[in-house]
Amino acid sequence: MTDLILDNIYLILLLPLWIFLIIMCGRFFSVYVNKKIIHSLTLLSSFLGGLLCSVSLLKTEGIIEQSFQFIKINDFTLAFGLHIDKTSLIIALVLFIVSFCVQLFSISYMKNEEKEYRFFALLNLFNFSMAGLLFSQNMFQMYAFWELVGVVSYLLIGFDYKKEKKSKAAKRVFIINRIGDTALIGAIILTSYFMYNYAGNLSFTTLGFEDMNAISTLLYAYTSTPQFYLICIMFIFGAMVKSAQFPFHIWLQDAMEAKLPVSALLHSATMVIAGVYLLIRLLPMFMLEKPLLIIICAIGLLSAILCSIYACIETHPKKVLAYSTSANLGLMFLALGVLNIKAALVFLIAHAFIKSMLFICLPKEGENINYITLATFVIGALSLAGLIFSGVCAKEFLYTAVEGNKIFAILFCINSFLTAFYITRLPIVMIKDREIEKSFDYSKYIPAGALLILNIVFYFIIRRHLTYQIAEPFWLALTAWIVVYILYTRNLLTRFPAAPKFIENFSYKIVPFVYEKFAGVCSFVDTKILGNYKPLIFAASMGVKFSGLIEKYVMDGSVRAVTALCKKFSAADMKLQSKNVQSYNAYAFIIITLILSLVIIGYTFILIQFK
Amino acid sequence: MIGMYHYLFLGLALFVIGLLGSVCAKNVIKVLIAIEFMLTGVNINFITFATFCDNANFDGYITGLFYTGLGAVELAIALYIFYLMYQKKKSDNIEKYSEL
Amino acid sequence: MISNPVIFYISAFILIFCAILSVCLKNVIYSLLASVLVFFDAALLFYVLGSEYNAIIQASIYGFAVPVIIGVSIMFTGRDAKKHKGFTLPYITILCGGIFVLAFLYIIMISILAMPDTFNLQELVQVSAFDTLSAFAKGLFVNYVWAFELVSLLLTIVIAGITMFNQKRGGIK
Repeated sequence: MTDLILDNIYLILLLPLWIFLIIMCGRFFSVYVNKKIIHSLTLLSSFLGGLLCSVSLLKTEGIIEQSFQFIKINDFTLAFGLHIDKTSLIIALVLFIVSFCVQLFSISYMKNEEKEYRFFALLNLFNFSMAGLLFSQNMFQMYAFWELVGVVSYLLIGFDYKKEKKSKAAKRVFIINRIGDTALIGAIILTSYFMYNYAGNLSFTTLGFEDMNAISTLLYAYTSTPQFYLICIMFIFGAMVKSAQFPFHIWLQDAMEAKLPVSALLHSATMVIAGVYLLIRLLPMFMLEKPLLIIICAIGLLSAILCSIYACIETHPKKVLAYSTSANLGLMFLALGVLNIKAALVFLIAHAFIKSMLFICLPKEGENINYITLATFVIGALSLAGLIFSGVCAKEFLYTAVEGNKIFAILFCINSFLTAFYITRLPIVMIKDREIEKSFDYSKYIPAGALLILNIVFYFIIRRHLTYQIAEPFWLALTAWIVVYILYTRNLLTRFPAAPKFIENFSYKIVPFVYEKFAGVCSFVDTKILGNYKPLIFAASMGVKFSGLIEKYVMDGSVRAVTALCKKFSAADMKLQSKNVQSYNAYAFIIITLILSLVIIGYTFILIQFK
Repeated sequence: MIGMYHYLFLGLALFVIGLLGSVCAKNVIKVLIAIEFMLTGVNINFITFATFCDNANFDGYITGLFYTGLGAVELAIALYIFYLMYQKKKSDNIEKYSEL
Repeated sequence: MISNPVIFYISAFILIFCAILSVCLKNVIYSLLASVLVFFDAALLFYVLGSEYNAIIQASIYGFAVPVIIGVSIMFTGRDAKKHKGFTLPYITILCGGIFVLAFLYIIMISILAMPDTFNLQELVQVSAFDTLSAFAKGLFVNYVWAFELVSLLLTIVIAGITMFNQKRGGIK
């Protein structure tokens, strides 16, 4: 098969790297100091990447494999190459689209910053490392790119390294990520070790993705059950840390110190997706034992619900969005846990478009917001809540997948209620201490509008291929929206000083008129009809008192209990996290010793059994 | 008769001493020295395997060479970072550096 | 290689004793001196193992260069801050170290037992001095030339980077 694009598919991977080198080296030798060249090169690389991805997605059927030998030690051969199938191509396409929009946005965002070229170079490197992770041929190569993603995210988060707070946050993000990396490399080495000793085929040793099914079957056959569980849980742990699931959602909070474009990239299609992608790749291994799937589901649901609750308490817009990322990734974990990869992918794509749009629409710290951005933000928020566009598709499809299990379904419904609550509340909180102005800000409209259009297009494409029905989550989200509307939006219309004329007319002439009539009707009903029925009023007031009591003791009490529990939890967590690097080292050493001795004990048991 | 395993034990012992030193010591420079011990212990392992398992080509020896060079580079960078930190903290006690 | 038990045991004893001494001594300068002994002893072991070239490199880098820069950095840290006592998390870590050593000993023993019959240690090949040199040259400049270039690039970057930083900060005072 000779095809110009499919044969040269490695270009997707190499273009961003090449542009990164051009920018860095060109800067070093003072060749390309013109900013426009840097911007256009960056945009070109991600645009071409997206184009290549989409063309090859149309052309390819099955799997593309290209590799060359990288290291050879006796009979252990490590290959380096590409393993491309539809899943990775779809995710890569989303990655390039989102990063194109974000780069477009960051051109205007970074206009007045120092060392802007470094930022664009790092964005390219981020694309390269993420695409490499998606296309890598075996686990070892994937681990290398996994680390590279961590390093580049460290560099991007700590871009303003002269500000102490930011550099510290970047350091903490990096070190928390290292915990997951350690678990992942341990699992990879253990699996490789078992394959090397027990599998007949030596090509299994490098854990290539093409024979993942065979590898997982062999691993299941040749390890004892505790060992298999240990390995799988270590894999899950690695994915969990990278995807910011419950105990480790803190690194996403620290990552909020980054600039807006970086957050838009980090939360949508790059870093947090890596964990989900790892789980998709390793799903054949987890399928062999049912409890592992339940563990994945539990992790996902736990972080979905807890992070949603946190987000309901939080009012800082960036932090709310960070919590919501953790919660939505939890839902992706849930989709993988019920073995529905399609639902997970649909959810991932919808979430990527929506979340990056939301981040682009956020105003800077202490800046005003203009109303088109606000409208876009509201549409994105409603979409994330699962009320319009692709959010509906993704959520209802996922709900159809989990409907069989009652507990999952109920928790899912609760989560969707909470999601709708905090995300529709967010715009109202945001405009509370900001002015709404009329000025135009094209730099935000173009990328945000592009993402919005993509969101809608994706909705119409996906609608025809999925079978789902509007069910409980949608209605719950609607309820949440109404609750928020009642709670927060009084006199919202008057907060638009620069609203167009017809809105002004609407708010100052039609609304008072309607309100007058309505009030007249109400007073008529009140005096003439209700006034005659005092027992009814008494009953109503009793009902109000009763509901007040319930609110005071039951609802407030439960909320207080939850917060107290959270506080105790975090206090216990704080004690473990001393700020000393040495103690982290010591923990790592202790954990390694424990794992080593566990493996040895298991091995000894096997030896005793076979003898 | 001295065999391969004697040397491996020696490398292991040096590695563990370095590890304990790097975790336990209070002085930053001592921690760096302990890390060098760890590197040396691993290097002994490299050379041992090169000698006993593969005397035909010199791959293990050359890896050991690179390892030595990289260890020196790492130490140089670590000392430079220490120098910068020391200007700020005016102390070489590692307790003062705990601000992750 | 020289397989003389006396040399091995004496040098191994010195190595471990000096390493422990260097970790446990309170004065940094004494521990640096002990560590110099350790590094030279490792170079001796490399020589005993039959790799003169490695021994020379080890002695010149770790025996001379590294102690000098560590000594310089000890010098500018001042006198009062040299002595510290106390360990962090001592008992658990030392216990873990013991378990670690035992575990590795166990692994090595198991690997002796489980070594397949087909795996034979190759016979030691005696090579003359010129052969060694040419083999090293072949390894460095033919087989591993990319790694060699990479390491030299890294060294250059380190030197250039540190110089640049110092220029920006106005030099070492």
